[in-house]
Amino acid sequence: MGVFNPAFWIFVSVIAGIYAIMALGLYVQFSLAGLPNFGHVAFMAVAAYTMAILAVRYQVPLLWSSLAGIVAAIALAFIFGIPTLRLRADYLAIATVAGGEIIRYLAMNLPDLTGGPVGSMAMLGPTKLAMYNGGWQAMLGAISRAVSSFLGVTLSRDAVMAAIVWILAALLIILIWRLERSPWGRVQKGIREDDVAVAAVGKDVVAFKMQALVLGAVLGGLSGLLLAFQIGVFSPDDFLPTLTFYAYLILILGGSNRIYAIPVGAIAFSLLYSGTRFLNFFPLSLFDSGSRAFLRLFLVGALLVLFMALRPQGLLGDRRQLMLEK
Amino acid sequence: MSVLLELSELRKSFGGVAAVAGASFGVADGSITAVIGPNGAGKSTVFNLASGFMRPDTGSIRFGGADITGRRADAVARAGLVRAFQTARVLTRMTVEENMRLAARAQPGERLGAAWLMPRAVARREEEVCARAAELLGLIRLQHLARDYAGALSGGQRKLLELGRALMAEPRMLLLDEPMAGVAPVLAEQLLDHIRVLRAEHGITICVIEHDMDVVMSLSDRVIVMDEGRVIAQGTPEEVQRNDKVIEAYLGRLAGAEADRLAEQAAS
Amino acid sequence: MWQHFAQLVINGVITGTILALTGVGATLVFGIQRIANFAHGEYLTFAAYLGLILNASLGQNLIVATFGAVIGTALLALGLHYLVLRPLRGRGLVAMSLITVGIGLMLRDVVFLVAGPQIRQLAIDQSAVYDLGIVRISPGQAVAIGITLVVAPALAIFLSSTGTGKAMRAVADNRDLAAISGIDIDRIGAYVWILAGGLAGIGGILFAVVQGTFDPNLGYQVLFLIFTTVVLGGIGSAYGALVAGLVLGLIMELSTWSGLAGGLEPRFKPLLAFVTLILLLLYRPQGLFGKARVL
Repeated sequence: MGVFNPAFWIFVSVIAGIYAIMALGLYVQFSLAGLPNFGHVAFMAVAAYTMAILAVRYQVPLLWSSLAGIVAAIALAFIFGIPTLRLRADYLAIATVAGGEIIRYLAMNLPDLTGGPVGSMAMLGPTKLAMYNGGWQAMLGAISRAVSSFLGVTLSRDAVMAAIVWILAALLIILIWRLERSPWGRVQKGIREDDVAVAAVGKDVVAFKMQALVLGAVLGGLSGLLLAFQIGVFSPDDFLPTLTFYAYLILILGGSNRIYAIPVGAIAFSLLYSGTRFLNFFPLSLFDSGSRAFLRLFLVGALLVLFMALRPQGLLGDRRQLMLEK
Repeated sequence: MSVLLELSELRKSFGGVAAVAGASFGVADGSITAVIGPNGAGKSTVFNLASGFMRPDTGSIRFGGADITGRRADAVARAGLVRAFQTARVLTRMTVEENMRLAARAQPGERLGAAWLMPRAVARREEEVCARAAELLGLIRLQHLARDYAGALSGGQRKLLELGRALMAEPRMLLLDEPMAGVAPVLAEQLLDHIRVLRAEHGITICVIEHDMDVVMSLSDRVIVMDEGRVIAQGTPEEVQRNDKVIEAYLGRLAGAEADRLAEQAAS
Repeated sequence: MWQHFAQLVINGVITGTILALTGVGATLVFGIQRIANFAHGEYLTFAAYLGLILNASLGQNLIVATFGAVIGTALLALGLHYLVLRPLRGRGLVAMSLITVGIGLMLRDVVFLVAGPQIRQLAIDQSAVYDLGIVRISPGQAVAIGITLVVAPALAIFLSSTGTGKAMRAVADNRDLAAISGIDIDRIGAYVWILAGGLAGIGGILFAVVQGTFDPNLGYQVLFLIFTTVVLGGIGSAYGALVAGLVLGLIMELSTWSGLAGGLEPRFKPLLAFVTLILLLLYRPQGLFGKARVL
C-alpha cells in the first residue's frame, strides 16, 4: 500500500482508535489512580479469547460472547487486584507483567481450548477453520450499505469500523473526563499523592483502587474485542507485553496527565508505527519489511527512553504537573 | 461524663521489641486529654493503634461504645475518630481547597458512575462541600491560600491544613500528634485557641501528644503519662506533676530545664 | 524413574547455577541501584551474540569468546549506567522501570536487526553425549560445568574476602550505614554494574551452550527467571541469590519428574517461575534471606 492510498489511512485510523481506547483504560489505572499496571494487555487477551471461545466452540451469539469477554476482563481485574493492590509500585509492576505473561502462556499451551500458538483459527482443531468474525463483518457490511445509500457515498467496511471505533473512543473519553472531574476523581488524585492521608479522612482506599482497576479492565477488554474484530484472527503473539508498553508510550507521547491528549498520542503512535511499515524513503528503505518490524520496536523503545528522559510531560503536557514521580 | 475512647491492655511489638506493653486508658467525652512521656514511650504507636493504622497484638479498643479493635484506618475515621499526623501529610500537588474538599463526608459523587447517573445530586452536595471548606479555611486563617498548591505551604501552615482537613471529616474525636511541633509561635497560639474552641463550641473530644509542658498544663483537663510502653500515671495536670514516678521517668531521660522545672514544681 | 530423577537433578543444578550466577549480579543491582532492571535479560542476549561473533565469525575458541562476552557486557552495563540510568535517577520507580523497558526493547531489536531472527549456536558439537553412569550430559552442559567451577568460587571469594566485594554487600544490605562508614556509594554503584554486566555475560554464554541453540529472544525468556531468583533470594542478598538460583533451577526441573503423579509437562515450567514470583511478591517479598522491610 502506498502512502497516498486512502485505504491505508483508514486502516491506520482504526488501529489508532483501538489503541486510544486501550490507552484510556491504562489512563484510568495509572494516570488517575497511580497503579503501574504493566500487564494491561492481559485484559485485552482475556476478553478476546473468551469471546472467540464462546462464539466459535459454543455457538454463542456474538453480542453475548462479547459481553462475556468484558465480564472475563472484570474477573481478571479482581484476580489481579485483590492480592496486588497493596504492593509497592515496582513490585506491582513486576507482578502485573508476570500475571499478563501467565495468561499468554496459558493461551499458548492449552491448544484444545485456545488454539495454541496458531491462535483463534485453530480453536476447532487442526482441520476446521474457526472464525468468530462473521457476524461482525456482516453488521459492518449492513451499516456500510445503509450509509452508502443514505449519503450517496460508498463507504468501505473498514471506514465504518473506523467511525464506530472513534465514536466509541470519543464517548468513552468524555465519560472518563466527567469522572475525573468528579469527587471520585478527586479521591483518586489524592490516593496518587498520599494514600495514607486519604485513608485517614475515611476513604476506603482499597475500594477506590479496585474500582479504577476494574474500569481500566473494562476499557482494555473492549479494546481487545475491537482488535479481535478488526484483525479477524488472532494468536497469543498479538498479546505480547509490548502492547502494554505501546499504551504507556501513547500516554507519554500525549502527556500522561491530560486525557484529551490520548487521541493525539494514539494517532502519533499509529502514524509512527504504520509509517515505518509502509513508507519507502531513505533511510527506511535500507530495511526490508521483515526487519522493519524490529526497527519499529527499536523506535518504540527509543521513544520511551527519550520521552521519559527529556520530555516526560509529552507533546502537549505542562511541565508543572508532572505526575510520574512517586 | 462517659468515656468515648477506651484502650485496654494494648500490646504491640516490632521484631521482638515491645513498643506498647499493656497500655490502658480512657478518654472522656468532651474532654481535652494530653498524652505525655519521654521519647520512645510508645505514644505515637498508641495513636497508630487507636486510629487503625496498626493492629494491636493483643488488647482492645472501644470507641463510642463499639469495639473497633482491628478495624482499618479508614473505617475508624468514618466512625468519627480522626487523627492528624506528626509530620503533616498534605496532598502536595493538589490545592489547599482541594485538600479540604476531599475530606468531606458523605459525598455521593465519590461513587463510581455517580457523575454520570446523578449529576444534580452530586453538584448539590459539592456546593455544600465547597462552602464548608471555605468556611473552615476561614476559621484556620488559610483562606488566602485556598488556590495555592499545598506543597507551597510552610510546615506550620501544613499542620493547620491537616487540622482543617481532619475537621472536614466531621470528627467526634481528634487525635493530634504533636500539633505544635515545628510551628511558629504565633501560629501555635492560634492552634491552641482553635483547639479550645473546637471543644467548647463543637463538642469535639481532643487527645494530644505533646512535649511542651506549658501547653499541656494550660490546655488539658487530664494528662496520661506513658513510659516504656505503659501508662505510669494519669490524672489532672497538677496531680501528674507531683507524681513521683513521672518525675523519675523524666529525670531519668531528660537532663536540663524541663526536668528541673518539674522537680521544682513538684517540690512546691 | 530414579534415573529420571537423577538426570533432572543434574539438569536442575546446571540451570540453577546459571541462574545463581546471573542472579547475584542482578540482585546487587536491584538492591543498590534500587531499580527493577527490565533490560537485564537483554544483557544476556547481548553476551550470547557477542560470543557468537567472536566464536563463529572471528574463529576464536570458546574461552576467548567467553572472555570477550564478559568484558563486552560489563562495558555495556557500565555505559548504560553512566549514559542513561545515572543521569535520570530520582525520576521515580515507575519512570525508571519504563526506561529500562525501553532500553531492553532497543537492545533486543538492535540484535534482531544486526544478527537476524535465525536460530544460532556457538561452536560446540551438540550431537555428542557424555555418559556418566546413570546420567547423561551434553557438551554444552559440560562446558557450563567447567566455567561454573572456575567462576563460582572466584565470585564467592570476591564477595567474602575482597574490600570491594564486602563493600558491595554492605551497601546492598544497608545503604545509609554503609555511607556513614565511609564507603563511596557512587563508586560501588558503578562497580556493581561492572560485576552484574560481567556475570550477565557469563550467564548469556552459559545459557547459549546449555540450551544448545538460541535466538534474540533468549534474554526475554530468561528475564522472569532472573526476577524470580532475585526476589526468592531477597533483593540485595548476594548469597541469597546463589541459593535461590539453585533452588529455582531444581524446582523447575524436578517439577517434571514422573514420580510426582506424572509430573508437570515441560512446557509449563516457565509458568512455575511466574507463579512463584507472584506468590513471593504477595506473601514474602523479602524472599528467603532478605530483611522484611516496612513498605
